[in-house]
Amino acid sequence: MTAVIKTHLPVFVVAAPLFVSFLLSPMARRFGWVQSLVVGVQGLGLLLAVYLAGMILKSSGVPIIYSMGGWPAPWGIELWTGSLGAFFLLVVAGVTLPISLYAVNNLSDEVGDATRSTRFFVLYLLLAGVLAGMALTNDLFNIFVLVEVATISCCGLVSARRGPNAAKAAFNYLILATLGSGLILGGIGLVYMITGNLNMGFAGIALNGVWQDYPHVVWMAMSFFLVGFGVKAALFPLHVWLPDAHSTAPTPASAILSGLAVKGYIICLVKILFGVFEVHLLDVFRLDQILVLLGMLAILAGSILALAQGELKRRLAFSTVAQVGYIVLGFGLMNIKGVAGTLFYLASHAVIKSTLFLAAGALISATGKTHVKDFAGVGRKMPITMGVFSIASLGLVGIPLFSGFVGKWYLLLGSLEVGNLTAAGVIGIGSVLCAIYLFPIIRTAYFEPAPEDDWQDPGVPQRLALVMLGIAVIGLGVLPGPLLQLAQKAAADLLIIP
Amino acid sequence: MLELGMALFSGVTGALVVASLPKATERLRRAVVLLFSVTGMVFSWRVAIKIFNGGNIGIIAQLGGLTWSLDPDPLGAMFGLIASTLWVFAAIYSFGYMERKTRPQTYYAFFLISLSATLGVAFSGNLLALYFFYELLTLATYPLVIHERSADAVKAGRKYIIYSLSGAAAILIAIVLTYIWSGKIDFASGPILVNTMRPGLNLLLALFVGGFGVKAALMPLHRWLPAAMVAPTPISALLHAVAVVYSGVYGILRVVYSVFGRELMGTLSLARKLPWVAAFTILVGVIIATQQDVLKRRLAYHTISQLSYILLGAFTLQPWGLGGAILHMISYSTLKVTLFFCAGIIAERADETAVSRMQGVGWSLPKTMIAFGVASLGMVGMLPLNTFWSKYYLMRGGVQSGQWSLALVLIGSGIINAICFLPTVVASFQGEKAKSSGETGGNTMLMLGPTLCLAGIALLIGLYPGIVWPGVEAVVNRFF
Repeated sequence: MTAVIKTHLPVFVVAAPLFVSFLLSPMARRFGWVQSLVVGVQGLGLLLAVYLAGMILKSSGVPIIYSMGGWPAPWGIELWTGSLGAFFLLVVAGVTLPISLYAVNNLSDEVGDATRSTRFFVLYLLLAGVLAGMALTNDLFNIFVLVEVATISCCGLVSARRGPNAAKAAFNYLILATLGSGLILGGIGLVYMITGNLNMGFAGIALNGVWQDYPHVVWMAMSFFLVGFGVKAALFPLHVWLPDAHSTAPTPASAILSGLAVKGYIICLVKILFGVFEVHLLDVFRLDQILVLLGMLAILAGSILALAQGELKRRLAFSTVAQVGYIVLGFGLMNIKGVAGTLFYLASHAVIKSTLFLAAGALISATGKTHVKDFAGVGRKMPITMGVFSIASLGLVGIPLFSGFVGKWYLLLGSLEVGNLTAAGVIGIGSVLCAIYLFPIIRTAYFEPAPEDDWQDPGVPQRLALVMLGIAVIGLGVLPGPLLQLAQKAAADLLIIP
Repeated sequence: MLELGMALFSGVTGALVVASLPKATERLRRAVVLLFSVTGMVFSWRVAIKIFNGGNIGIIAQLGGLTWSLDPDPLGAMFGLIASTLWVFAAIYSFGYMERKTRPQTYYAFFLISLSATLGVAFSGNLLALYFFYELLTLATYPLVIHERSADAVKAGRKYIIYSLSGAAAILIAIVLTYIWSGKIDFASGPILVNTMRPGLNLLLALFVGGFGVKAALMPLHRWLPAAMVAPTPISALLHAVAVVYSGVYGILRVVYSVFGRELMGTLSLARKLPWVAAFTILVGVIIATQQDVLKRRLAYHTISQLSYILLGAFTLQPWGLGGAILHMISYSTLKVTLFFCAGIIAERADETAVSRMQGVGWSLPKTMIAFGVASLGMVGMLPLNTFWSKYYLMRGGVQSGQWSLALVLIGSGIINAICFLPTVVASFQGEKAKSSGETGGNTMLMLGPTLCLAGIALLIGLYPGIVWPGVEAVVNRFF
């Protein structure tokens, strides 16, 4: 029995949240059940993700390959639980659990009654399941399906908040994201056209033999993927939809959108670039330099734009644009340290940005204010929320012994190893800018006199979620050990270094 | 081990105690602050004595996948000793100064955390630990800079944070480069880059010196320091004349002697220009100082100038130069803290912050102005004071390195120093005598006591320089 469960574990991890999400809508009248089911399935997901990651670590990176329906590749669809998959699965599970905990008994203000909240949870679990799928899939067309489902649930989550702004933001997002999907589909079509395969492994092998005959097709496919996923991952200058979407969404949705959804697309892009085209081709087409350049641009532009924002959630949203830059830059470095660092940074940012959005949401709903200058004295009235916000900010700036530092350290090692001093300088400037746009919030919160209003920390589940995430930020900074190892293995796999 | 831990954690522990007693009486809070500053001082003295006698205390920890080490050598021990000793004086002075000020709890908590951060910088045994405590010091001292909460203070704080963090970013990049080129980052086993001959070393040196130079207020990176003078006077005295700025100076000394090593430094083209950057800062800093009318700003520009004395000594790469630099670290800090303490008393008791309106202040605050006068003479480099000796060795170092003109710079700067301070002292004893003395009351004694004590210590070291010599010798022997 256990053996059967074990073999079917990868597909279960993906299917469980999807399955539960379909169960939810008829249960809207018993909203308590809905919530406990959501948290329960997320908790189970985390346990399984930890177990899978442990298994991969123990077997030092030997992937667990699962053929859907028993059909082997290239005919069937594969779920490929390698180091990268296990890594991202762990990140997804680790971040979605606290976010769903935060959403417990907390949606009525932003989303509405039980029916609307249940719909929110349906979309939320759908997104969580799809992100897990993105981590494990090894099939190009599956990626397209997952990307589409993710886009639709993201749009739904954005529009879940009542009010005209949300609808507008969601519509804008939908239009641009559909454009992105179209490009991705085009890219997949081009790859299929010249390789005849949709399984990424087989497509990669086939491409290796024929790319010289179709250099333009390869180039076009690459650029389709880059722009398509770039739109979805809000890679500067394709980020225009993100600030509206992420800042108008309800708090838990902002957290999962900024923390995880954006990264899901990046992971897909990376899987395709490194799995199908492989390092060698990326080198030939100079994609490494393009990625580094785009990353640097995004860091600088995102940070400067974030500085210009007065609204707290918009500032955090633009900060995501900058952080996506770090991640893309790291993949462009194409050495073990840089790629491992960027993967760790991705995990760290997933935790930090969810924390920041959740804390910001708690601040906004407690005080009713949205501007960064309005939170005077919040630090004393809401010690847990603001404390966790500060920890996450320090982490994002990259103070040693917080999770962001480990990622930045390896990113710097990676960029200086290839002798790219400019990239290192941009990473440094990015940290300083990050401090400039986050620290004033902390200063007003702690060092300015509080008004008489009765502001309080949110309820118990919300506090628990915030504390869990805060501990994760410090924990990853002090003891990054296993996660960093997994990231290094994943980097080695991506770069095809034994 | 134990001494090191006690010295390092006394500040943080004290801060936690202060923070957990929001309703404590002022008397209790003072007792706690004094207790933990004295603990910090006693144990850093014990660490220093052990190190000077050739002992070895090291703690290595693996955190965050990286190695962190605390392993003070004589240079670090000396810095820790200076900082922690002055901390106690500043603590006592604060008791008097903070009497009528708001938010004493925040003030004392961050005051004590900064002690731990400074000692961490001093005791760090590798570049990573140094970087960590250097960043921590920035964050811990920021609330002290903005303590007044005025618009000016917030602006100054912002400047301070931006300058410091930019410097830290440059340092981090430099550390990573060092690590990639040499594979190690610890100071214990000789200069890190000793056998590394490769292009780009000048750039690395520039990154390091530029990064640490922010806190060391090396021109043109000095702008935050005069702005930070909005902080309460004990903070200006302790942090912006000694602890924080010395952490930058200390970082540069480390880079020169422990990262590059003097042999390698001797071959770099940038290293030959650095003494002149320091000389420029010395002269321009003190000249700007003479133009300032607000006493604290004058002192700030003067700090900028004096810090470069130490850097100049270090950049000569000569034993006499380094000895002079270390001696100047000791002597200058005692005198400068005295000057700031006097400025604080004048501002509080005579309600005067402008140099041009100090006429007659000496009659109402005679002891203060005498201490001020003594310290001013010291800044000129007059004989019975300790700075005479440090300047002497600095000049010797300059001559030894074959650059006579560096000695001339020091002499010239001494003369400008005289123009900068002595007329003020003279003017303060002119005009009509005040009817009553301003130096009465318990609080004044709390402020005046440490001031006079420090002026006395400066005189004592001037008369018997032998008492600090073993420490200086230990530092010089470590690197030569």
